[in-house]
Amino acid sequence: MFSPLFAASEPDLLTPLAGLLWLIPTLPLLAAVLLALLGSVVRQWSHWLSVAAIGAAFVVSVLVFVPLYGAIHTLHEDGNHVPPLVVQSYYPWIQVEPGKAGLGLGAGVDIGLALRVDALTAMMLLMINFIAALIALYSAGYMHGDPGYARFFAAVSGFVAAMNLLVMADNFVVLYAGWEGVGLCSYLLIGFWYSKPTAADAARKAFLVTRLGDVGLFLGILMLWYGTGSLTYDVVFAKLQEGGLSEPFLLTAALLVFAGAAGKSAQFPLHVWLPDAMEGPTPVSALIHAATMVTAGVYLVARCTPLFMLVPAAQLTVAVLGGFTAILAALIALTQSDLKRVLAYSTLSQLGYMFLGLGCATMAGGPELVKLAVVAAVFHLFTHAFFKALLFLAAGSVMHGMGHVIDMQRFSGLRQVMPLTHATFLVGALTLAGFPLLSGFWSKDEILAAVQQASETGSYGASTYFLLLVLAIVTAFLTAFYTFRAYFLTFWGPLRVPAEADHAHGEQGHGDHGHGHGHEKKHIERDSAHPKASYESPAVMTVPLVVLAVFALGVGALLAGPHTLKAVKGLSFAHFVEATPGLPTDAAPHQYNLNLMLLSSGVALLGIALAYLLYVVQPSLPGQLARSLGVLYQLSRDKFYLDELYHIVFVLPLQGLAQLLATLDRHGVDATLRAAATAPHWLGQVFRPMQNGLVQFYALAMVLGLTVFLLALVRSL
Amino acid sequence: MELHANLAAALGGFVWQLLPETVLCLAACLLFLAGTFRLPRTMYGILALVSLAGAMLALIVVWRRVPFVAEAGEADLVNALRYAAPVTFTPLGLLFKNLALITGVLLVLLGWDEGGESSGEYHACLLLITAGISLVGSANDLLTLFLALELVSIPTYLLLYLPHVTPASQESALKYFLLSIFSTGLLLFGFSYLYGLTGTLNIPRIVETLAAAQAVGLNPAEASAPWRGLVLVALVMIVAGLGFKITAVPFHFYAPDVYQGVSTPAAALLAFVPKVVGFAALLKLLGFTGTDATLNALGTQVPVLLWIMAAVTMTLGNLLALWQSNLKRLLAYSSVAHAGYMLIGLAVAPRLVATPDGIGSALGGVEATLFYLGAYGAMTLGAFAVLHLLSQNGRSVETEDDLVGLGKTHPRMALAMTLFLLSLIGIPLTAGFAGKALLFFEALGVNSGKLEGLTKEQAAQAAEQARLYGYLALIGAINAAIAAWYYLRLLGAMYLREAIEPVPPLKQSPALVTLGLCVVLTLTLGMVPGLWLGPIQKALRPGFNSSGLTQAPGGPDGLVAPR
Repeated sequence: MFSPLFAASEPDLLTPLAGLLWLIPTLPLLAAVLLALLGSVVRQWSHWLSVAAIGAAFVVSVLVFVPLYGAIHTLHEDGNHVPPLVVQSYYPWIQVEPGKAGLGLGAGVDIGLALRVDALTAMMLLMINFIAALIALYSAGYMHGDPGYARFFAAVSGFVAAMNLLVMADNFVVLYAGWEGVGLCSYLLIGFWYSKPTAADAARKAFLVTRLGDVGLFLGILMLWYGTGSLTYDVVFAKLQEGGLSEPFLLTAALLVFAGAAGKSAQFPLHVWLPDAMEGPTPVSALIHAATMVTAGVYLVARCTPLFMLVPAAQLTVAVLGGFTAILAALIALTQSDLKRVLAYSTLSQLGYMFLGLGCATMAGGPELVKLAVVAAVFHLFTHAFFKALLFLAAGSVMHGMGHVIDMQRFSGLRQVMPLTHATFLVGALTLAGFPLLSGFWSKDEILAAVQQASETGSYGASTYFLLLVLAIVTAFLTAFYTFRAYFLTFWGPLRVPAEADHAHGEQGHGDHGHGHGHEKKHIERDSAHPKASYESPAVMTVPLVVLAVFALGVGALLAGPHTLKAVKGLSFAHFVEATPGLPTDAAPHQYNLNLMLLSSGVALLGIALAYLLYVVQPSLPGQLARSLGVLYQLSRDKFYLDELYHIVFVLPLQGLAQLLATLDRHGVDATLRAAATAPHWLGQVFRPMQNGLVQFYALAMVLGLTVFLLALVRSL
Repeated sequence: MELHANLAAALGGFVWQLLPETVLCLAACLLFLAGTFRLPRTMYGILALVSLAGAMLALIVVWRRVPFVAEAGEADLVNALRYAAPVTFTPLGLLFKNLALITGVLLVLLGWDEGGESSGEYHACLLLITAGISLVGSANDLLTLFLALELVSIPTYLLLYLPHVTPASQESALKYFLLSIFSTGLLLFGFSYLYGLTGTLNIPRIVETLAAAQAVGLNPAEASAPWRGLVLVALVMIVAGLGFKITAVPFHFYAPDVYQGVSTPAAALLAFVPKVVGFAALLKLLGFTGTDATLNALGTQVPVLLWIMAAVTMTLGNLLALWQSNLKRLLAYSSVAHAGYMLIGLAVAPRLVATPDGIGSALGGVEATLFYLGAYGAMTLGAFAVLHLLSQNGRSVETEDDLVGLGKTHPRMALAMTLFLLSLIGIPLTAGFAGKALLFFEALGVNSGKLEGLTKEQAAQAAEQARLYGYLALIGAINAAIAAWYYLRLLGAMYLREAIEPVPPLKQSPALVTLGLCVVLTLTLGMVPGLWLGPIQKALRPGFNSSGLTQAPGGPDGLVAPR
């Protein structure tokens, strides 16, 4: 029933691929290293190297994808049910024979640098490298003139290299290496304008919070090694399926792995770093916090489906946390005035959706449900990457035009002066809201279908899944509402442009101007007296926007629609991804649930209509509502005070402990050491008077010493 | 008849072995004579160098012509040479001859401008000292050994006095002289007891007799306590007498005062040469140059004495050095401490168990000591050379304050001094580290291997001894850490403080060659210790040196008496 997990069959099409695999992480890495070393030399041309490297990685990804696609296309036709997989090992790093690893473990250790490509990986690679290349191109315009230009591109290239490594890993160690790499590059990029205290703080917060998750992931990896004796995916999952490991063990391992995913993908309670991460440049937000790094967690859980499948309790936890994050973030996004924050919370919410989907992959619903749920989550990851990156880049375009002002209270009516940005943002907003027949609609709907199926299994937690279904639909409504609230606030209404827009627009560098994300109250609230005709961004920024818009529009329909049309089955996304080793193979294809589609379309349109009502027709209404809702409004605006709670519960005690230990060290340990260090001096002082300069004394001392020796030794004869 | 003729020829041929020493002594006489002519000073130096070169040539001739005593011919001839000749040509002797000539060159270059009007006599004394060192290496009986030791000591007295006659140097020279003859008296007393106990002056014979008797004496039923008591007295006296030379505690008192009072090149000589001859003589007399069997000559007590001396010497030297601000006194105490480290090797040697293939691993301790001797020579001569070079133009660099700011005013000198200080501390990649590592590893290697065929008590005893020598290594390590403080203080003075009174620029001087050679040696011995360790190991092969005893299987009993 389950796919054999070893790469037992490799059609001849695939063998040449193995030689190409190393290029995908290495090309961007090379660019990163070169830019880091030669940054001061290349300066203005840094973007060429980065874009070229990432573009080349994309080309190689396509070259790898095509034969793989061909192999999958013919998968079930030849009676061959083994999903294609290409694995290439490069370097046997640590090899210890079983029994010699110490700690009483019978398991050996065989960790090597090995890369693999299967359907899931190929899909991720295409998405990552394509979007990253577009964003790198966009950044050439956005970051123009910034003193740290080369550093930016070095970090971005490094990030892409690490992300590629992460998805191409064939064992948990390489995965962890890529995992840490993206965390590091994320830190470097969030804190890119490090002289700004808020940015430095945000970078640190992101790093520390994800670190918590990383510890969990590492412990989970160790548990898996302990339980199965290996660290390579295929071997681990095969051993897990054989059984023999206890429920609590599997549950703990699964939850620990999920902890890592929760950290990187900002799920509750480790979600607090993502909104603050908006302090980084907007292309960074687009790349890392929409399309790639935050999706690493989803990828990890999808990859570890064979593990999670065995533990329904863990699945339920994932679903519950995902669903809760989704609605929490949606509620907060309702009242934010910083456009990027709205998008950040919407990312949180959509990630919650993805985990909700993954959490529905219970065996209780049979292998069809597992396949549906995982494919749905991964599909939503794919579409979300495109439209969220689009939205962030469009927001960046707005920022670029408005002189780095992103507070929606300071501008409006921008559709008149930024037509292209407006159009692409609208496309992104529609897709995010789940407007029927756009890509977001298809992917969100698949997740809803998975949740519904999970709630109908009648087994463990079925009622919880039903509750989550309700939550998910409510969240869909809220998503549409806050997305279009942001859209209408920004692009509709009277034309208002902040004064900074006229100063900074042009060829001036962005340097240290990366400020003003809506929460600072001290900037001068001054509108521009004479708005220009156009604040549109240069072509190097708008072209990627257009490309992404096209994809956001089309990719969903293209890939999901034909799912049921068996005639064009070959193009189906699901058909491709479901051929991943680890997922059940022989499941029946998914049938569309028309009722659910109608319901989700309905709530989306309802949300858009409500936003139109509140922000275009009756602009005074939101204020009145906010006042009447009072406390609720405050809670939403202030992020439910979670940051403050964490500060009191975690940060302050730790700081206190650190102070205590520092005092102990200073007064305890140091004092002891100093005392020990004075002992030889003191002893030396004792013997000093012997050296009194009198030769008679010296001779006497010599004789005395001699006598002592003689007496002592002769006596002991 | 034929045997006797061969013997006579062989015995007579020993004169050939003394060719290098003869060259040096003749040259010395020439220099003494030339000294009366008041030639320009550099002439004397050049003459000294030429004669050293001649001695090297002579050494090559000897090496080619004269076979090592163990390879001289038939057993009868070998025995005759070994047990009758006053000097024998052994690999260890050759090693010391080479060491002597290199030291001679270094010291002549260092003291090029010394001596004022008596420069000729100064260099002549240096040549005589060099001859003495090389004679110590080949000495085969007590008289020759004593002669060689005095050949080193007496010119040293002169040398300390000659360079500049100040009250300080007069006092130092006199102190050294008085205490030196006192210790020589102790040494002679020990020699006399040895002669009385064994009836011969020949060193290999003495050592073997003692070893055999001690072995017998280890069996309680046949103990001869009065005899062993007398042996103990003799050995302790010898250690005391030689302990003066190697500045072991409690015979070290002269070192700080004398080093401080005499001129820097003379202090450099004092820091190194007596140690060389002292350790050479100790090696010969205490049976360290034979096989494991000859080490029994030490009995059970003398190793304990050596252990205590090593520990006390290291500790006292380092503790007192902490308080010194005068650089020469500091280096004097440091040389005391280093003597302590070297004694670790000797203390350990009797306890290292030989491997079954007959290669005495007790030699590991001796090798370590000899290696450290060479390394120590390079770093100490180098340090003194730096001080000497900085002390020109009438301003002597005596105290720590004189070194302040050297990093800026004389960067290359400071760098050289840094290297020597790091080597004295024992930082890796320097000779000092290699030496210390060898010594400590030997100490930790006592009874660490598998000991076969031991009873339970013997095994327990072996473990106990292993622990004791582990403590010695521990004391050594702690001392190295304590010593780091005063060396680092000098480093800090050179680089971290501003010069109060900057040292004037250096004059060109041949002493720079000494400095350069010491730098090269310190680095080379640190990074490729095998270059020095290899020759030492080859020189110490058992049976080639002072004893003809073969390795007895299974332990100290069952010696094979020479025919």
